[in-house]
Amino acid sequence: MNLKFISKRHLAMLVAVVTCTFSVAAYADRLADIKARGTLICATLTSSEPVGFVDPATRQVVGYDVDMCAAMAKEMGLKLEQKGVSVEARIPELTLGRVDLVIAALGWTKERAQQIDFSSIHYQIPIKLIAHTESGFTKIDDLSTKRISANKGSTPELYARRMFPKATVLTFQDSPSAFLALAQNKVQALAMSQTSGVRFVNESNGKYKFLDGILAFEPTGMGVKKDEPALLAAVNGALERLEKSGQNDAIWNKWFGVGTKYNIPREKKLTPISAFQ
Amino acid sequence: MINLDFGAVLQGQYLDWLIGGAFTSLGLFATSWICAFALAVIIVALRALDFAPLEWVIAAYVNYHRNVPGLVQIFVWYFGVPELLPSSITGFINEHNGEFIFALIALFLNAAAYMSEDLRSGLRSVATTQMEAARALGLSYVQTMRDVLLPQAIRVSVAPLVNQSLSLFKSTSLAMAIGVAEMTYSSRQIENETYRTFETFAIASIFYLVMSWTIMAVGAYYNRHLQVKER
Repeated sequence: MNLKFISKRHLAMLVAVVTCTFSVAAYADRLADIKARGTLICATLTSSEPVGFVDPATRQVVGYDVDMCAAMAKEMGLKLEQKGVSVEARIPELTLGRVDLVIAALGWTKERAQQIDFSSIHYQIPIKLIAHTESGFTKIDDLSTKRISANKGSTPELYARRMFPKATVLTFQDSPSAFLALAQNKVQALAMSQTSGVRFVNESNGKYKFLDGILAFEPTGMGVKKDEPALLAAVNGALERLEKSGQNDAIWNKWFGVGTKYNIPREKKLTPISAFQ
Repeated sequence: MINLDFGAVLQGQYLDWLIGGAFTSLGLFATSWICAFALAVIIVALRALDFAPLEWVIAAYVNYHRNVPGLVQIFVWYFGVPELLPSSITGFINEHNGEFIFALIALFLNAAAYMSEDLRSGLRSVATTQMEAARALGLSYVQTMRDVLLPQAIRVSVAPLVNQSLSLFKSTSLAMAIGVAEMTYSSRQIENETYRTFETFAIASIFYLVMSWTIMAVGAYYNRHLQVKER
């Protein structure tokens, strides 16, 4: 391209066009875009039972979050386009605008809420402590000065530190290592959400147990891009209607409820985000 | 647009974590370096004895540490070895900062293997006639090694030993995998809580850079001022 032929006026026009394009992109209403498109791009995890995982029989991604995606799309009168995301990519995918809605076991934290907007909290998972059955511990307060393992960067780590400032919290790269530390008595308890911990407790034939009491209820919501008030309102409206019609309970009970291997009743109903801020 | 805010990371609890991480990293490095160097000298001296069975044992030791990834070695010590020890000992170690102790053992055994190879090549550059001459003068084997051969071998080995020290210093970050709160561990923890990824790892990088330069500077200073000059 020969630069001699670009006059100042052309350059000014080019700058104006570019600026307009960007400002339009920045101020467009995402909800309007979604409606024009007719599909809701909804992101879930793909390898975390039971929220989003590949069903070996059908090779399809299924799970609680996937059903919630489908229910939300239907409620908003849209077709569903499901997308898999990793735990690390959940927030970037939203901020980069690649997906409309993230339903991926997204726990609400103050720091995350600075990056993205959260819908109302649609469920809350108890965070518990797991210990050796023969350890003699019965309730979580017995561990207030002991050693507790957790997954690095997880909310159980955060709540264990907060609840028991005198305890030593050791963190590991993944759940199996954190569990191994408990198995070898390097720590006296393992802090974990009840949904993830069920696997270790159930498969141990009574060697390990959940201690009585909970560290915290982890509030989980859906994520949308920041500063999209219309979309956030539409998501919250759809969630409220699903709560009223009993679908939120039904989908929960199908995957987590009494009679499943998780056996967790849905104690906490849909809660507005203002209750946590 | 990225807005950088180092203040968000360098305050209160986060600053404490960074300082704690820095001290843990340095403590782990210093202790494992001293243990590793001492063990490397012993290994080299034993190897020079030319006693075949001993030679095989040492060769096996060196090969294990050179051919198995460092992270695996740390896991072997932290998750594997305690299974073989009586529970009273394991319990005692677990009570007394077992993560640090096992990371230290794994790191210094690994570094000693590498350092012994560096020293061995240094020793081979010293003429064998020196050993014969020293023994003919009536020095014992230990005296010969300590006063005649090893000082010369170390002088030749300074460059690879500095390299090895840098390698060991950076390997201390592997200890985060078993929950040792060193610099990398602290940085990841802060990054997880603040989402200030760039600032956090920039600070960690600067720490590692400055410390590595210090190690190199110490090596250069030793080369210039502290060691016996060749005549």
